[in-house]
Amino acid sequence: MASTPPRQDVPPMLPDASSARAQPYSSGPTGVGTQPFRPSTQNQGTYPVPPFRPDQTASYAFRPPPNQGPVYRPPPSTSDRASGYPYTQSSSQPASAGPPLNQPPSVSSTPGSLSSSSYYPRMPAPPQFRPPSAVPSSSGQVMMPQPSLPGQGASAYSKSPITGPVSMSQTVNPLASTAGPFPVQPAILNQPSMSTVGLSRTGQNVPGPFSTSSRSMPINPVPSSGPVLPGIPQSLPGMPVSNQNPAGQHPAGPVSTPVNQPPPMFTSQVSNQMSVNRQSSAPAPGSFSSPPKAPTATPARGPPTFGLPATSAPVPNIPPPLPNSASVGPGFPGQMGTYNVPQGQGLSNPSQYPPAFGSVQSAQYPQYASGAPSLTSDGQLNRATAYPGAAPLYQNVQGLVEEFQSLSMISGPGSMEGSVDASALPRPELQDSDYPVQSSPANCHGRYFQLTCNALPNSQSLAARWHLPLGAVSHPLAEAPLNEEVPVIDFGSSGIIRCRRCRTYINPFAVFTDNGRRWKCNLCNLNNEVPSDYYCPLDQTGRRTDVHERPELSRGSVEFIAPAEYMVRPPMPPVYFFLIDVSFSAIKTGMLQIAVDTIKSCLDKLPGYPRTQIGFLTFDSALHFYSLKSTLTQPQMMVVADLEDPFLPMPDDLLVNLSESKSVVEALLNSLPSMFKDNLNVESAVGPALRSVFMIMSQLGGKLLFFQSSLPSLGVGRLKMRGNDQRVYGTDNEPSLRNPEDPFYKQMAADFSKMQISVNLYAFGDSYVDLASLGTLSKYTAGQVYFYPSFQPNLSGEKFRYELARDLTRETAWEAVLRIRCGKGMRFSKYHGHFMLRSSDLMALPAVDCDKAFAMQLTLDETLLTTQNAYFQSALLYTSSNGERRIRVHTAAAPLVSDLNEMYRAADTGAIMMLMSRIALESSLVSKLDDVRQQAVQSKLVRAFREYQNLFGVQHPLTGRLIYPESLKLLPLYCLGLYKCLALRGGHTNATLDERLFATFDMMVMSVPRLLSLLYPVMFRLDEHLLHGDADIKAIQRLPLTSEKLDARGAFLVNDGVRFIIWLGSVLPVDFSIQLLGIEAVQSGDFNKAVFDGNNNVSKRFATLLKSLRSRNPAVFQQCHFVRQGDQPREGFLVLFNMVEDRPAGLVGYADWMSQLFRQVKQKA
Amino acid sequence: MEWELMLWLLSFFSVAAALGFVIYQLMCLSDLELDYINPFDSASSINKFVLPEFIIQGSLAGLYLLTGHWIMVLINAPMTYYNVNLFLKRQHLVDVTEIFNVLGKEKKHRLIKLGFYVLMFFIVIYRLVYTAVVSIIEGDNVGSHVESF
Repeated sequence: MASTPPRQDVPPMLPDASSARAQPYSSGPTGVGTQPFRPSTQNQGTYPVPPFRPDQTASYAFRPPPNQGPVYRPPPSTSDRASGYPYTQSSSQPASAGPPLNQPPSVSSTPGSLSSSSYYPRMPAPPQFRPPSAVPSSSGQVMMPQPSLPGQGASAYSKSPITGPVSMSQTVNPLASTAGPFPVQPAILNQPSMSTVGLSRTGQNVPGPFSTSSRSMPINPVPSSGPVLPGIPQSLPGMPVSNQNPAGQHPAGPVSTPVNQPPPMFTSQVSNQMSVNRQSSAPAPGSFSSPPKAPTATPARGPPTFGLPATSAPVPNIPPPLPNSASVGPGFPGQMGTYNVPQGQGLSNPSQYPPAFGSVQSAQYPQYASGAPSLTSDGQLNRATAYPGAAPLYQNVQGLVEEFQSLSMISGPGSMEGSVDASALPRPELQDSDYPVQSSPANCHGRYFQLTCNALPNSQSLAARWHLPLGAVSHPLAEAPLNEEVPVIDFGSSGIIRCRRCRTYINPFAVFTDNGRRWKCNLCNLNNEVPSDYYCPLDQTGRRTDVHERPELSRGSVEFIAPAEYMVRPPMPPVYFFLIDVSFSAIKTGMLQIAVDTIKSCLDKLPGYPRTQIGFLTFDSALHFYSLKSTLTQPQMMVVADLEDPFLPMPDDLLVNLSESKSVVEALLNSLPSMFKDNLNVESAVGPALRSVFMIMSQLGGKLLFFQSSLPSLGVGRLKMRGNDQRVYGTDNEPSLRNPEDPFYKQMAADFSKMQISVNLYAFGDSYVDLASLGTLSKYTAGQVYFYPSFQPNLSGEKFRYELARDLTRETAWEAVLRIRCGKGMRFSKYHGHFMLRSSDLMALPAVDCDKAFAMQLTLDETLLTTQNAYFQSALLYTSSNGERRIRVHTAAAPLVSDLNEMYRAADTGAIMMLMSRIALESSLVSKLDDVRQQAVQSKLVRAFREYQNLFGVQHPLTGRLIYPESLKLLPLYCLGLYKCLALRGGHTNATLDERLFATFDMMVMSVPRLLSLLYPVMFRLDEHLLHGDADIKAIQRLPLTSEKLDARGAFLVNDGVRFIIWLGSVLPVDFSIQLLGIEAVQSGDFNKAVFDGNNNVSKRFATLLKSLRSRNPAVFQQCHFVRQGDQPREGFLVLFNMVEDRPAGLVGYADWMSQLFRQVKQKA
Repeated sequence: MEWELMLWLLSFFSVAAALGFVIYQLMCLSDLELDYINPFDSASSINKFVLPEFIIQGSLAGLYLLTGHWIMVLINAPMTYYNVNLFLKRQHLVDVTEIFNVLGKEKKHRLIKLGFYVLMFFIVIYRLVYTAVVSIIEGDNVGSHVESF
């Protein structure tokens, strides 16, 4: 077989396949002869598996892995589809036309045509199907017919190795991608893909079965590369040999992925063998012939092929790294997966946990790499690893090999201080992916919903031993990379399928029974009727035959179009109302001018044209209303000076349709700065202005952008200067400083939330503006706080402009409510973030967007949960900017375990930190900072580690070593970061009250990746990078955050996700400074004069670098702050305080922190 | 004895009213918990009855103090102290934005109050009946005494 062209080359044909992220699921039902999957009681670690039907002995149904690609590709036209195919696109169409899911089934397939159907199901979701024509092109020499003929396929597998691989590839492919995290042998996989045409596509990433603990992402699916083919033949023969080979070989080796785990070989082998054996033992050729089984056939093939060689020889040993692997590996996720998958998974399992989090990640994994689920569709292969049978094996091995990590603490009698080798301490790698791989293919991506621990305790007593926060992070509108958009589904008149009792939305974990007439809710176990127009027969494996055409049954994240019963009023138009302070300080700082300019430039980009509505109100000591009636040529201004009882001077035209009144709006914006440029009024009547705005907006709701530059001084809601009283710190009154002074603001916030108004506060403080009070408005209305201390247009102007423009133009979900459902026996008890609870589990979000994440704590209500898995479903009901009511549903599952160690292994540091920091920040509103740091951060950490120590300390008495789980190795570091973060650090002198509160508000909305980079900023050496390196971010060498690393001869950049701090050493070569900053800035020593004209290489590279760094974090504009060494106090404040590992001013350093932790763990242990 | 009877009669209605207020507040809270009512309505209806209840309780305690019913004063003192304290800290009203976070606490407090008022209720009824009976008996005695003359 000739090598197939790399998939990349084939994009038009197989768009999906090329995208690494898309995860097609692999074939659903597994091959014949597999044993029904039975949850084993022993192994708690089983991961949620797509429902399977126990009754059908022959197969187990795997859920198709969620198809991450937005586009659904129609199966080949010839294929017989279930008649119900909801969104068919003509087969000929390129995948690109993903969106229209709701189209009526274009093609009705005849059930009779087994051949096509048979392979169809196997194929990973839509993408797999190629139009017949496409096939040849994609892989030069593919045998078209094989797949179609069930009989042939089966026989072929068993007989010839070649065919075997082929079949494998198809079935397995999905796995391969899934296997990403695990070492996959590319070569093997590739081979299979080659043989079958259609199959090759399958190679989308399917997440490994076991992903739960590991953070590693699946490898990007790379289009199958030519080299693969050649490799195949080699590999096959090699396989048996390899078996013989001692473990020494690297199964993973072939995989290009940088997984460096020394996988315990045996485990992998064993598991593989098991899987193989099963498969081989029950090869049921017959199954292929029958149409219904067809889907299963693929998997079946896989196994057999596998089995032949495999049975005798465990897969793992497969020929050493195929030469191809290096080149191919990355490229071919899917294909590689086929063979390798089993191996890889087997291997990976053991190894996966430990190395997974920090170290494993390779650059290869895209940051957002497929979130997909680890379980691939192929049941058989996965089974070996994922399922009970295999699990115990790997567990045992793992236990021996590396159950935990330890850090040697030399805290002997000699040194009280307990010294630690600072260089040995764990630190995050640059490319760490921020999201763990999901534990099941049908899970939504971690960026949408992430549990702090991917294995949940099954009893209250176990939960009580888990001292870290137990809960989840929900980010329903997280920005998805291209090609991974959430599919939109329209059920039309039939209504959305939901559970009658618990109102859960239909999801991939629901089990269909009674031949498809009923479905069992996975949350509450209620049997629901399936509406007649949603009915679809089940195949022999108990899965619906149309699973692959219905994203809601195959993917963890979907978006439903909500019919009229989900509306209490007609969908609102996007409303933007600007409440602008025009008092003296606002004019003086230049805020007004920039705000107005930015608004003007964004008018055309406001979402929701032509329904968008807009309005303005300005205020100083009086309120200025503007009539923007479209018939006027100039806006009409009305001044209301009655602050006690503000009224609307006119009922209409204060809020107008932008498209109709655009010229008037522009005229207003043009004249606003000049109208007030001589305003000397320093008063600020915030309260009355807010009340007036409320009257204007209460009809529709919408977004209120509130620009404020001084302390409210008139009317209701006036505030006192209270931020400078440092005597309050350390007393019981300290927390009250961080709470609103006047209940007016809370009441106002509640009213705003009730009327669907979201407040985004832009505060410009020359002096104290009491963010604690003003920010409350945003806190309860799902808004956001922006703060520009000492605003100066030339310094922060760009930041303000960017952030205001983003606020105005980013896609926004209006009048939204968010509810997270979970199965019986547990519930979310506390929520943290910016929102208001409308009922105990319903978050009201008047306007929410992609920059807001929420965290919640989970509580177990029942002492013992008997189910295997816990399911969670977050549903965000909202109105899109174009006036459509939609429901975005993310479903996730996690296994329930009875073993604490399992929990530790599956812990997710990012989510834990998120929840922990929000709990700490909220408790800072009611208790002193000292107490917060002690109780909410440090003592939790200590208790968790002590518990872990108790688990293993006895068996492995390692004196002088701190034992911690691999998954949590970075937790102490991040906790230290939290301990020192702006919001919680020190006392009065360490941060002004406003800055502290701004940090608090910001941290209450930010997503996990942003939080982690804030807690432990990325630092690297800038001058070397700019002079020698290319401007590729990946080449950056991340440095530990300690001032020892700051070399006076160099320049360093610290990126904390909020700003860039550039530290220039005192003996930094002058010519470098000049190139970087321009000669003027260097001579005058005033960095404000720095110019980045890009007229030399350094400057050019610097600009590129900033651009690419900023593009990774679009939520905020990261401003550059230059600091010269020794420039106090600026250096201390900007740089030294960010040196998390240092110990400035009485704070602990990283090494001390660890030895402190060690001592405390030991103390009562 | 007339004023004594009047006092207990007044106490009876007052305590009954306070009892009613507390029960109503509890109902609002549990309705909120069960999602029968939204937090805005719940909070506003609860807050409507908070001050009246405080006033009733406070004036009853004052009345007992003035009339020298020391035992009743002692029984009422902790509750009065608690109420005054809450009021001075301006925490007597339910905060609609945080209502779900304090739901459990508020319910517990109100349940305790409920217990207190029930106790009060029985004491007051007892004293009322006792006083009434005594006064009737005395009245009878007086009457019979007169008649006997």
